[in-house]
Order: sequence, then C-alpha cells, then structure tokens
Amino acid sequence: MSILERHRKLTAIWSSEPGFKGWFSTVNHTDLGRMFLVTAFFFFLVGGVLAMLIRAQLATPDSAFMGPEIYNQVFTMHGTIMMFLFAIPMFEGLAIYLLPKLLGTRDLAFPRLTAYGYWCYVFGGTMLLVSMFLGIAPDGGWFMYPPLTGAIYSPGINTDFWLIGITFVEISAIAAAVEITVSVLKFRAPGMSLDKMPIFAWYALVTALMILTGFPPLILGSVLLELERAFGLPFFQAELGGDSLLWQHLFWLFGHPEVYIIFLPAAGIISTVLPVMCRTTLLGYGWIVAAIVALAFLSFGLWVHHMFTTGIPHMGLAFFSAASTLVAVPTGVQIFAWIGTMWKGRPELRLPMLHILGFFVTFVIGGLTGVMVAVVPFDWQAHDTAFITAHLHYVLFGGFVFPILAGLYYWLPHFTGRKRFFRLGEVAFALIFTGFHVTFLAMHWVGLLGQRRRISTYQAEDGWTAINLISSIGGFVLAIGIAIVVIEVALHAVTANRGKRNPWKATTLEWAMMTPAPAYNFASLPHISSREPLNDDPDLAVRLARGEGYLGDSGPGGRRETLTVNASSGQPDYHVIYPGNTRLPVFMAAVTGLFFLSLLLKFYWITPLAVSGVAFLACRWVWTLGHRGDLPDQPVGHGVALPNSIAVDHGSGWWGSLFLLTANATFFGSLLFGFAFLWTVAPGWPPPALFEPSLLEMAAGLAAAAASTAAIRRAIRANRNGQTVMPSLVLAIAGALVLGAVIGSLMLRTPGPSAHAYGATLLVLGGYGLFHAALGALMAGFLAMRVRRGFTSPVRRAEFPIVRLWIDYLAVVGMLVLLAAHVPGFLT
Amino acid sequence: MKDILRIIIAPLVWLVTFTLVYGLHGVLCGHDLTTLMIGKIPVARVLLIAAYVFAALVQLALLAALHAPRLASRYSFVRFVSRATGWVGLGATLWTLFPVVTTSSCGLAM
Repeated sequence: MSILERHRKLTAIWSSEPGFKGWFSTVNHTDLGRMFLVTAFFFFLVGGVLAMLIRAQLATPDSAFMGPEIYNQVFTMHGTIMMFLFAIPMFEGLAIYLLPKLLGTRDLAFPRLTAYGYWCYVFGGTMLLVSMFLGIAPDGGWFMYPPLTGAIYSPGINTDFWLIGITFVEISAIAAAVEITVSVLKFRAPGMSLDKMPIFAWYALVTALMILTGFPPLILGSVLLELERAFGLPFFQAELGGDSLLWQHLFWLFGHPEVYIIFLPAAGIISTVLPVMCRTTLLGYGWIVAAIVALAFLSFGLWVHHMFTTGIPHMGLAFFSAASTLVAVPTGVQIFAWIGTMWKGRPELRLPMLHILGFFVTFVIGGLTGVMVAVVPFDWQAHDTAFITAHLHYVLFGGFVFPILAGLYYWLPHFTGRKRFFRLGEVAFALIFTGFHVTFLAMHWVGLLGQRRRISTYQAEDGWTAINLISSIGGFVLAIGIAIVVIEVALHAVTANRGKRNPWKATTLEWAMMTPAPAYNFASLPHISSREPLNDDPDLAVRLARGEGYLGDSGPGGRRETLTVNASSGQPDYHVIYPGNTRLPVFMAAVTGLFFLSLLLKFYWITPLAVSGVAFLACRWVWTLGHRGDLPDQPVGHGVALPNSIAVDHGSGWWGSLFLLTANATFFGSLLFGFAFLWTVAPGWPPPALFEPSLLEMAAGLAAAAASTAAIRRAIRANRNGQTVMPSLVLAIAGALVLGAVIGSLMLRTPGPSAHAYGATLLVLGGYGLFHAALGALMAGFLAMRVRRGFTSPVRRAEFPIVRLWIDYLAVVGMLVLLAAHVPGFLT
Repeated sequence: MKDILRIIIAPLVWLVTFTLVYGLHGVLCGHDLTTLMIGKIPVARVLLIAAYVFAALVQLALLAALHAPRLASRYSFVRFVSRATGWVGLGATLWTLFPVVTTSSCGLAM
C-alpha cells in the first residue's frame, strides 16, 4: 500500500464528520484539543476585557465609571474566568492536542470522555457568561468567602451561579485529568519507558494527578455552601456550629495547588521549547522530574499560608511558613536547569524565545515576592493589598501567559501547517512585556502604600492617583499587545503560506507527521529508543507514513485502533479498539447541565429526571463497548501479537476508574476533614444532641459491606473458572442495597440538620454513602446484564475488576460513614 | 505502577505526616490540652515532638528502602528519581515540622 493510499484509508477511518455537524460528534483529540484551545482563548479575551474595565475604573480617583455592584461582579468574573475558564482549560486543550502526538500514539485513552469534558466546560462557562450579561454575575470575589457569600449577606442568585457553574466546569477538569493520567501511563509508543517520555508528558502527568487531588476539596466546599444557601444546612454559620474558616481551608486546599496546576504545564512548555531554541538537549532531565514531583506534593502543604491573618496559632503559622519557603527549592532546580540548558546550547532569539525570556524575568520577580509573603510578619502588612494582586499576576501571567504565548508561536506551524507571514509577534511581545511590567510593578508600589485590593474607588488625597493612572496605561498597552497576537493568529489562519514540516528542527515526535496533523496522527506507531526520536532517525516521519512501524495495516474491520504499553518499561501491553464519532458526549453533557440548571433555578422536580437521564446515558455509553465473542490476539507488527483490552485484568477502564476513585476519595477525605475540623475548632460543639446509635444497624451495614465485596471477588473467581457468576453478583447487589438502606435510615434519624452543623455534616456523609450504594448496585446490576447478554467469558474479563474497584470503594466509605455516625454515640 | 509509587511515596508520606501533625496540633489547641502536665513534662509538646521524630524515622526507613537493592526499581532512571524524591521527603519533614521544637504551641500571634 502506498503512503497516499494508507493516508486515505486511515483518514476515512479516523476523520470527523465534515462541516459544522462534526463539531458535535467528534471524539478526535486533535479536533477537541483545538476546540478547547480556541474556547479557552476566547474566555481569556473576555477576562482581559473585564481587566480593562477594572483598570478604567481605577485610573482616576472618585471614579463613576462603574458602581460598586457592577464593579464587584467585574472583578469576581475576571478572576473566575481567568482561573477556571482560561488557565485550566488551556492546559487541558494543549495536553489533549499534544500528548498523543508527543507520546507516539493515535488518540487519548477515552476519546468520548474528552468530548464530554469539553461540552461540560462549554455549557458551564456559558452559564457564567449568561449571568454576567444578565447583570446577576457572582460578586463575592473569586474565592467566595462566607459569611459574605452565605444566604444572609448574598441572598440573590449571583453566588449560586458561581458555586453551581464552577462545579459543572470542574467535571471537565476531572474528566481531562483522568484522561491525561491514563494516557500518559499507558498510551505511549512501544519502547517509550518512563525515562524516554518527553518532558512535557511528565509535567502533564503530575498536573493531572494534582487536579485529581486538588479540585475535590473545592467541589466539596461548593456543595456545602450551596446546601447551606439552598436548604439552610449551617456548615459555615458560627452560631449553629459551623465555621466560615472551614470554607477557607477547603478553598485553599484547592487554591494553592491550583497555582502550581497552572504553572507546571507552562513550565512543561518551557522545558520543551527552550532546548529547541537553544539547539541542545534539556539539562538535568531526571532532576527536573524529581523537582516536578516534589513541587506537586509540597504545594499541597502550603494552603494555610493564604490564611496567615485568620488568627492561627504560632506553631501552625510556622509549619506553613516553613513549607512556603521550601517550595522555592524545586522551583529553583527547574530555573537553574533552564539556565544551564541555555548555557550549554546556542540560544537563538526567535519569537518563542522572546516569550521565554519574558517568562524568566517576570516569574523570578513573582517568585521573590512569593518568598516575601511567605514570611508571616510581612504577610500581615501586605495581606489584602494590591501588593498581593500584583504578586499573583507576576506568578500567573509570568508563569503561565508568557509560556503559553511561547508555545502558541512554537506550535502554530503544527496547528496550521503554515508559516508566519506578517511579523507582528515581535511588536506584540514588546507591548505585552512593557505593558505588563508597567501595570503590575506600579501595583506593587501602590499596594505597599496601603491600597486595598478590590476597592471600587479611592480618593485623591490617598495619594495613589498617579500610580494607578500609570498602572492603567500599562494595562491598556498590554491589551493592545494581546490584540496584535489575536490579529496575527487570525491572519496566520487565512494566509495560505505553506511551511516546512519541522521548521524548528525539533526532535520530539509531534513533528514526525504531516502538518496540520492528520486525524490518525501516525500511519504506523514508532518504536522509541531515546528521548529524541527525530535525532536518532531523521527519516522517521517518512518510515512511519510508509507503515513500517506498529499497526501499519489499518484496523480490523476498518476500526480505530492503537496499542498500550507497560507503564514502566514501555513494552507493548494490549490492543485497543476505539469507539467512533458519536453525539453521546454532547447529549450527556447537556443532560448533566440540566441537572445543574435545575439546582440553580430551584426546579427540584427536574433534578431526579436529570440524574436518571445521566445514568441511562452512562449505561448506554458503556454498553456499546466490548464484544460477544472472544477475540484472538491481534498482530500489531514487528512480530508482536497483543490481547484485546477486554481480555486483560487491568484494561483502560480499570485505570480510569482507579484515578477517578482517587479524586473521589479526596472528596470524601475532605468531608471527613471538615467533620473533624468543625468538631475540634468550631464554636458550639459538642452538638446539643448526638445521633442515636444502633448496634443492630451498624452491624447490618458493616456485614452488608463485607458481603458485597466478598461476593464480587467470588464472581471474579467463578468467571475465571467458567462457572456461573449470577448468584455472586446478586449477592453483591443485595449487599449494596442493604448498606444503602442502613445509610438511608441513618439519614432519616440524623438530628436536626438545619439546627446544627453536626446533623448537616452527618446528612451529607449519609448522602455520599447512599449515592455510592446506589452506584455500586447499578454497576453490579449492569454487569449482571452484560453477563446475561454474553459480553463476558473467562477470557473477556476486563469488566469484573472495574466493578470490584467500585464495590470495594463502596464498602470502605460505607463502613467509615457508619463508624462516623454511630461511634460517638456509643462513646458517650 | 510500582515505579510510580516508588517515585511518589516519600513526598506522599511527608504530606500525610505533615497534615497529621498539624491536625494533632489543632486537636491539642482546640481541646486546650497544652496545659496538661505529667510531673513537669508538658504532654502536648512531648506528643508533638514524638510525632516529629516518628515522621522523620519513617522517612529514613523509606529512604533506606529506596536505596536497598532488593526494593529499588530495576530501572536506573526510576532509582535516581525515587531516591531524589526520598531525600525531598526527609528534608521536607525535618524542615517543615521543625517548629514543634521551637515555637509556642497555641499562642496567637495577632
């Protein structure tokens, strides 16, 4: 088969529907990556316009440009959009577009999940935009502190838009994080062991794991605050046993790692682009990997440094001050590795390199002011002033926007297959760099002079007028620079000036394909023997196009296929057949949106319908996978034959479930932390009445949990031995239902959920347990139906371990919920 | 997956012990246990220091395990990274929990 024939055949298999309709049915990572990037950039522009409104307001004293109500909405939406609708989705988009190409495979692990995440992001983001256009946008600041955001002080729907809209958008982040984690660990070219992974993949992997463990505390906080607002469960009301500081803990448990979730992918771009710009290799690859891992974990030990002024005891302050200074070390390791890379190479001052240098200057200044505010006495002085606003912009703009612009110009030829014609980027860089530093250096200054953050205006006699005017002028210069970038990219997209395939002479795999990238990425998959495959074999792209790699023949029955590898060694593991184009993800995202909308508008009669709709669509989603007959091992080329993913113990679904449960466990752990925090710190504890314990109920629940987990294990053994599995599955379902009934009884007997935070917390713990009991029963029931319809056999066994994971998780959380509710009563 | 575990185990254990010691400190302050004395020995301080020493010993044990040929990865890259993160875990434990021996327990700064 010629290169052109193979290209046509693979394109027919992998391409999306043509035209507008294809946007809604595509599950291809290249399409969805581009859609994520364009949408995120759109939100960046919206957030930028809001920033200009803020600077217009603050340019002069006693400004009447906006009233305080509108101003509050504008700065809240600016922060919210930049954090949740620009920075994180921009990372997701870049990772979704690039990772399969960098890793030498054809798509991500779960293509439909990518599409579902994208549509959740679009619908959730739209919800927030609509609130802004209706003038009812969130107005409590991007970190939404109660009691300001409680029902008493913020009675309107504004705060609900934030709590519900952001939770909706976070589904997208969790989905992308699961997708990225499994893809990096399993979906790589053969031979690509951990030490041969492109450095960006390490950054993406660590960032995704951070999202899985960093976002759930905020989701929990949003759920609790919305429950308080909608149903009066007093988690944050001090007079009823709640504590507003609980919100701050939950928020910053998310919020501080969030800074690194934003920074790390940008650092991944630097580590990828810088060596190419310097015509050398990255210095200290192993050290950088260790530094990324260290940074990720250390960032979770810093959350209280946002709470230094809340009256925390000396020792607590000292713990977090120490951790805050320590985090500079792994960051410094990366900075020195980059400087070393420049030192050993021959830097060329091309446009991406300009933005990298802009990053260096800006981020290092932001890092230094970060060390300043890690020192408690300085933080007390600077807290809640414009100095902090300036610091966070140095870190986030310097640490994210400059690298993103470097990446934009670096990968633009890959996105479009064209080369730049109008040289506007250099002018844009000069304006952005100058405008940024004028804006935010001035903001440091005015902050040290005492200007508080978020004030809607100030008086002339405060002495801040000239500095604010300079800052605003700088802001508008920055905005003009960004506008020029937009113009250049638009011109780039419409001017047909074909470029070379690998204009930078880079050595990573994404350049071993035609540009713009074909839907299937690689006509055949490479075997990797170093981190620089294009350096090892400059003709690799041609050889892969000829079909000389793995899977060179198009898939069985014309289906989309790829292969996975062992996470450590990179040895081929199993063969994967992907689902094709479908509108299921957009429908499911719409129904998920209906669920959130019903909560927002308080149409609670719709809520169970929407939940049922999501459950039905999820079952349909999974039902289309698998086969009713055993498949022989699939030859994938080079003399290797691999089992199908349904014929292994730990298939992609198992890995996805494992990491989804990691996020889920973080959510549950945060809930238990909240319970312990309130019991220990909040006023009004112990509660007036404890839950009436019942030995019988607790024993029944614990026995049911143990029975269900034992039963699913027995079902796995029976399936392996070719015996009937139905009795075991029925027992697992019964166990889940009994556990659910016991937890339901607990919820009914919870003392006064709206009278005290104790009862409210027990109710939420019970609700969590009940949800998982229903989910466990549903999954075991679904598996029973799959068994009846012939989707399983001793060989086709992959679905059993997945259900076992969820049943085991149910057993553990069920037991913990029962112990948390009953044991205190027994002890008193 | 075992190799990924080797790479993350030491900082993960640091995070757990750091949070637990912070939680222990919160419980001791929240329930006003810092005034409790056995003879002339302040129980809260002893508990916190014991937790600090325990956390450091756990990190030392992990580091020893990561250096032990029987438990270390067979891939040199993973061995290097896991040992580097092992040292991170030990260093972070010693540095971030050091306040248990130097500062007052529940005194408010403001």
